[in-house]
Amino acid sequence: MFEQEDDIVERMIQQLRRPVAVDPGLDARVLQAITAPRPSQRGVWPWLAAAALLGALTIWRPWSRGSGADRPDTLQFVLVAPQANSVSLVGDFNDWDPKRSPMRTANGIWAAVVQLAPGRYRYAFLVNGVEWRADPGAPAARDDEFGTPSSVVTVGGKGS
Amino acid sequence: MGIEKVESSDAELVRRVRAGDIGAYGVLVSRYRDRLGRYAIHMIGDREDAEEALQDSFVRAYRSLARCDDPARFGAWLYGILVNRCRTTGARAARRRRMFVRDPDGRHGAAHADQSERLEWTDAVDRALARLAPQHREAFLLKHVEDLEYEEIAELTGAGVSALKMRVKRAREQLQRYLREAEHV
Amino acid sequence: MILAVLLIATQVAAQDPRLDRLDPDTRTQVTVVVDSARRMGLPAEPLIQRALEGATKGAPGPRIVTAVRRLSADLGTARAALGDGASVPELEAGVAALRAGATPQVLAKLHSVRRPPLTMALSVLADLVASGVPADSAAVAVLALAPKARDADLVEFRRAVERDIALGAPPAAATSVRVNAGADVLNAASPPPGPALPRRP
Repeated sequence: MFEQEDDIVERMIQQLRRPVAVDPGLDARVLQAITAPRPSQRGVWPWLAAAALLGALTIWRPWSRGSGADRPDTLQFVLVAPQANSVSLVGDFNDWDPKRSPMRTANGIWAAVVQLAPGRYRYAFLVNGVEWRADPGAPAARDDEFGTPSSVVTVGGKGS
Repeated sequence: MGIEKVESSDAELVRRVRAGDIGAYGVLVSRYRDRLGRYAIHMIGDREDAEEALQDSFVRAYRSLARCDDPARFGAWLYGILVNRCRTTGARAARRRRMFVRDPDGRHGAAHADQSERLEWTDAVDRALARLAPQHREAFLLKHVEDLEYEEIAELTGAGVSALKMRVKRAREQLQRYLREAEHV
Repeated sequence: MILAVLLIATQVAAQDPRLDRLDPDTRTQVTVVVDSARRMGLPAEPLIQRALEGATKGAPGPRIVTAVRRLSADLGTARAALGDGASVPELEAGVAALRAGATPQVLAKLHSVRRPPLTMALSVLADLVASGVPADSAAVAVLALAPKARDADLVEFRRAVERDIALGAPPAAATSVRVNAGADVLNAASPPPGPALPRRP
């Protein structure tokens, strides 16, 4: 009797013990956060300092909160490229224009924050103006008609 | 992000981080990310909040790394930071019930019957867990899901071992009841 | 007649200044495709973005034109499968799924079992194939989960599969193990043996 009653709790425990897959991009975000200057330090990252002061970590949110939210999501794109002199984020959300989203760096970790309405976006990083890199932490864009790698980010929600 | 090479011990990695090698911290994060993530997700009940708590914990751990007395037990120390961080979120965030979209006109028939049963079960598990008081849920998860010893849990939570055993026992009783209720709906 | 076509092309070419990044010849041809798509009720923006991608990447004009034409055709196929009510993000994700190997029938089925928006479900399908999962396995998996899983659950599923593959699981097996646990559609003919452990997809 005792065993039978406990069975259902044991089933639940087995279920809960299953491994979960956390977003692998978290690693880069952690490193980026720890290399950013603290609120007491001003410098080349005034926007990050402001965010820290507001008590908000910039966070990758590839899906909207709640059900069917239409508002844009704020996403942070990160690339670890210690040897690079410049890195641009280019994609379907900024007309593939390298001048639109230059990335900022600390200790070889490059980051840019973008607001994205719901949709599926191809993007890539342009390193030193010449080298194309996909995002190692994101799904690969399958069709590559132009001979260079790209990645995909999908933002959920209704869109238009 | 990157490829982890030779398996370095936690103590070694902590030593390297303290010497200025930030990349070594990345390895530690990768190593503990999923395991700690599992606890955070079950404790908090919301994936986004959980990942935020997890990220925050990793950042805090880095910043207070000097206070990690025993680098060989970095994992346990990190756990303590996460457990505390999850308490803050739990107190702040409203409990969100995870409702799956119900099939409105039942046109999917037998082929999906098993599937809907499975999802009902996982839904029931999530809800039962959410109904526990935070202290009970915390103790239950640390003991039965994360496999910590009562002495370790006592260290992390500051509660006494016998109090913890009571909480776990209560949690099991309540969960049994909630799950049975869900079965009979 | 030719003059009229040229005049129309020139006028329309002036409409989207972003296409100025293309050489005149390419710009003209791309504009023709874009306008034709518009007339059929297909969205122009994905086509323009594809042209701009090609421009930034320094691709030869003819390749850009081919890419834009192909995308326009695929948007039409996606729209036929997903219905006229499909949003632009859904169409783009639909194209990705089609190119990953999903048939229009799969898209139509998804449309029938899941409330909109379908963007994430279609994206996950395409992304699974990008990780190495065979297209039919990916389709079966997503269709099994689609009726009830939330967008966030589908993303979690995709990540879990990618992780399994990274840890060495054969891609088709990775989805079928997870689908069997979460939704026993692969063995729909016979019921599963005993109370198999359920898990959240």
